Amino acid sequence: MSALAHRIGLRRRRSDRGVSLPVLAALAAACVFIVIGCLSSNIFAEQTVAGLAQGAVYASLALALVLIYRATEVINFAQGEMAMASVYIAYQLLQWGFSYWEAFFVTLAVALVLGIVIQVVLIRPVQHKSVIAVVIVTVGLFILIDGLVNWKWGGDIKFMQAPFGNKLYHVGAVTIARQDIGTLVITIGSVLILWILFQYTKLGLAMRAAALRPAAAALVGVRVDWMLAIGWGLAAVLGAVAGLMAEPSQFVLQPTLMQPILLYAFAAAVLGGLESPAGAVVGGLTIGVFLNLVGQYVHFITSELRLPFAFAVLLGVLVVKPTGLLGRGKVRKV
Amino acid sequence: MVMKGKRILVVLATAVLAAAVSATAAFGAHRADPGITKTSIHIGGTFPLTGVASAYKTIPAAESAYYAYVNAHGGVNGRKIDFTVLDDGYNPAQTVPDVQKLVEQDKVFAIVGSLGTAPGLATWGYTNARKVPQVMLATGDSFWGFCARKTCQGSTKPYTSGWQPDYPGEGRLYGKYIAANMPNAKIGILYQNDAFGKNYIAGLNQGLGSKKGDVVDEEGFNATDTVVTQQVLALKAKGADTFFIVATPGQAIAALVTATKIGWSPTTFLANVSAIRPFLLAAAAAGANLNGVISSTYLASPTTQPNLAGMKLGKAIIAQYAPALAADWAVGDSNLVYGMGVAWTFVTALQNAGKNPTRASLMNALHSLNTSKDPFVYPGITLQTSATDNFPIEQEILTKWSGGATGDWHPFGKLLTSGR
Amino acid sequence: MRVRAAGIGTAAAAAVVLALLPFALSAYHQALAAQVGTFFVAILGLNILTGYTGQISIGHGAFMAIGGYTTAVLSRDHHTNLVLTMAAAFAICFCCGLLVGLPALRLAGVYLALATFAFAVSVPQVPLKFSKYLGGSGGVQSAKTVGHLWLYGVSWTTAAVLFVLAWLILRGRTGRAFRAVRDSEVAATSSGVQLPVYKTLAFGISAAFAGVAGSLFVMGTNGFAQPSEFGILLSLQILVGAAVAGLGSLWGVLAGAAFIGLLPTVSSDVPLIGSTHGQDVVFGLIVIVIMLLLPNGVAGLLARLARTRARGLNRGSI
Repeated sequence: MSALAHRIGLRRRRSDRGVSLPVLAALAAACVFIVIGCLSSNIFAEQTVAGLAQGAVYASLALALVLIYRATEVINFAQGEMAMASVYIAYQLLQWGFSYWEAFFVTLAVALVLGIVIQVVLIRPVQHKSVIAVVIVTVGLFILIDGLVNWKWGGDIKFMQAPFGNKLYHVGAVTIARQDIGTLVITIGSVLILWILFQYTKLGLAMRAAALRPAAAALVGVRVDWMLAIGWGLAAVLGAVAGLMAEPSQFVLQPTLMQPILLYAFAAAVLGGLESPAGAVVGGLTIGVFLNLVGQYVHFITSELRLPFAFAVLLGVLVVKPTGLLGRGKVRKV
Repeated sequence: MVMKGKRILVVLATAVLAAAVSATAAFGAHRADPGITKTSIHIGGTFPLTGVASAYKTIPAAESAYYAYVNAHGGVNGRKIDFTVLDDGYNPAQTVPDVQKLVEQDKVFAIVGSLGTAPGLATWGYTNARKVPQVMLATGDSFWGFCARKTCQGSTKPYTSGWQPDYPGEGRLYGKYIAANMPNAKIGILYQNDAFGKNYIAGLNQGLGSKKGDVVDEEGFNATDTVVTQQVLALKAKGADTFFIVATPGQAIAALVTATKIGWSPTTFLANVSAIRPFLLAAAAAGANLNGVISSTYLASPTTQPNLAGMKLGKAIIAQYAPALAADWAVGDSNLVYGMGVAWTFVTALQNAGKNPTRASLMNALHSLNTSKDPFVYPGITLQTSATDNFPIEQEILTKWSGGATGDWHPFGKLLTSGR
Repeated sequence: MRVRAAGIGTAAAAAVVLALLPFALSAYHQALAAQVGTFFVAILGLNILTGYTGQISIGHGAFMAIGGYTTAVLSRDHHTNLVLTMAAAFAICFCCGLLVGLPALRLAGVYLALATFAFAVSVPQVPLKFSKYLGGSGGVQSAKTVGHLWLYGVSWTTAAVLFVLAWLILRGRTGRAFRAVRDSEVAATSSGVQLPVYKTLAFGISAAFAGVAGSLFVMGTNGFAQPSEFGILLSLQILVGAAVAGLGSLWGVLAGAAFIGLLPTVSSDVPLIGSTHGQDVVFGLIVIVIMLLLPNGVAGLLARLARTRARGLNRGSI
């Protein structure tokens, strides 16, 4: 495998490493600040815990966005709606009598198939013709899926059982819900599984090759088109996981489930670097915690300004480091 | 020669006579308003069937069911009601073309029951300029009551009216209750950061009167937010022991569950737009502790007052004309009762508007309501409007939740006036 | 020579049709046609930025919001003549576009798209925060509302004027510079084109057009400006319209504008999959199908037809 990687030129060079020292130092300092804050103030700790829980949801959708971008250099505007549709499929399975975890895994399988089908039928015909055409197809998909879900299940509020129940744990004076711990564990688990897939399996290597050096990969026998399709399938699975974790955090299911999350997930993905799965998680958790702390302590930033503020900070980061915190700088060869 | 001249004279005279007759006929004839014929009357309304406010989509469904019931019993003075429901997704940019379509293409007689403050504000200039009734708006904004005689945004709006008690009025009731029963409460308010939320807070402060200082913190959220954890944590941290939730069902559920999850047990007040039983049950299923939560109502309850004539009628109407909603009725979805209450009021006003109603006579009827016979409102409530009062319902009763996760709202105290 | 004559001929014919059309339409349809005119202007602006200069923007709804609120606030507070407010919207949005273009210089491709997306989502929140002057969720109501015929006349006259303006800009040196930036930034710089100047200029012009479209949009909504009218869906609609029109060419803009202006209304009349959600499903499906079949939009189709015809003519002459 390493011979294969070497042939395609995927060996990592030291200069390519995405995490630069200043960024690492800044992140470390932020962690220290958070820990000190949690120890010294109860409300600080509570806001941080809540922020981590919400941030895990942003991170899991951001992961799906990053996966698709890494594999196909496309921003999938329909990612949130695909995730939302997956949750409705799970809801329907629950209505038909499946248990929660049965429905969970069946939904992931359905999402995988749907992701692949969408890539093959809708994206493949246009992906080489025009960047903007692909973007528009995903926008059309966004609107189409939203319409289909509203038509089939209606726009009103529905209720699903929570995967991890309602149990609460008390750490000092801070209450942590088992649901939130579950979400965090699943998100980090997804990153780990993804990492193992990409670093240690042939499939993962083939997918990386197909994304970075499609011509060379084709020459050594990688079926590039199928790798892209599988990339979309996996991203759809990640999106489904994100949706299934998002629903209990909102306590209700409605078609607008993923729309606010999509916005913050974009911010998280860009903040962490669009090609870095670890960046997506760091970005998501950072945004979740940051928004809660700012809402608590900075009084000018009222609820109307949360979203603009998050994006303003994001723009600030992009101006300083255009490829995001953990992203790799792209060298343009003339 | 003379014969020909005479013939011409006769023809001319007939022509003049015919012209004169038809002219008088045109002047004297009753020019009917659009949307109304001898056998039908066409009305329309815009509702959020999709989008952030779609929790209320059962309201137009209930209204349609009631009109179907009325039609099956001969209609109003022999006219069947044809109700067109359009989806504006709570977006005023969609409401405007929808209303234009209803008025200019479908040529409806009146716009009845449309939901939403911003959608109403986007279209009331248009409807009033064309003298199209835009009545029984499903929102508690006080504009609809005040602006029939007063100039608002440049002109009076005599053709627009509401139905339900206004939000400031409801806020006043809670404020007065707190001032009388819990004068040293520390109040934390969670509110939607728009006119809806701010109206409530204004009313609450008026009701508190000298106890206004009891409010220790106000935390806002956007209508599109799905999570309110940060705000609820902040309210708890400020030491509030009384929790005011001014939200629509989605965020209300989140607020109730979050409060329990963070280990906070304040005395909770809930705006009655979210006090719809199925949503409370869902909140309980997600872990909220509901016992003792206080709200209010102006509607009869299908679950705690099932033997009232109106509730029996409503159940029968749903079973016959909208069977898909039967489960909603059984679980106590007050949106259905609301819809029927509105429809009943419209039908009554139509009957009072005379054998051949016009838009003007409909508005007259709506501006001179005086009836306690609406079977869908809480027993004892009178719908009353006059030249100086354009708020049809101004009475509510406080309710308290008991019975835990399978409980219900139980009224306490007397009927209170929410008017000024 | 022949092409240019044909082009001017087509434009003249279109102008005549548009001038006579309202007399054949009912008032309700005049309003619809006016809305198509509004989208025409917005798509024109986006095309200048994305089609001709290669900068993807998903934020034009925000510029429409700024232009729309300019009209509403000026009308409400100062009773300004509505056409004057459109000029004000043009100027203000031009400046805003320049301001947005500056940080955009550091971003490219997807990052730029997402930054403009962030802008589009954030701008409608501003009136909610500064509700005292900007109306909050209660919106801002203009002092004067307009009839359907007036709106039709103003929107299509504006569309014609701005179309000519766009054509003049794009055929001149500025247009060539824009195209150079789009095709290859490196080559453009080596030929002496100052990237920052032309990129920001493209943003400014494009935003100014969108601002005027926003004014028309608010006038078409009974003069009522409110944040939820300018949600992200509006920006996406404009982008879809520009793609259907065909980027990099002005000839498809009418088709794109008609598509997003008329399809929702037309599809709601078709008793397909239930009235309300059918609109979205039909719209989404048709957008996807159009992009699959015509990735270069209507303009691309027209170009292909022109080439086929030219080939046919050539064959004929041999």
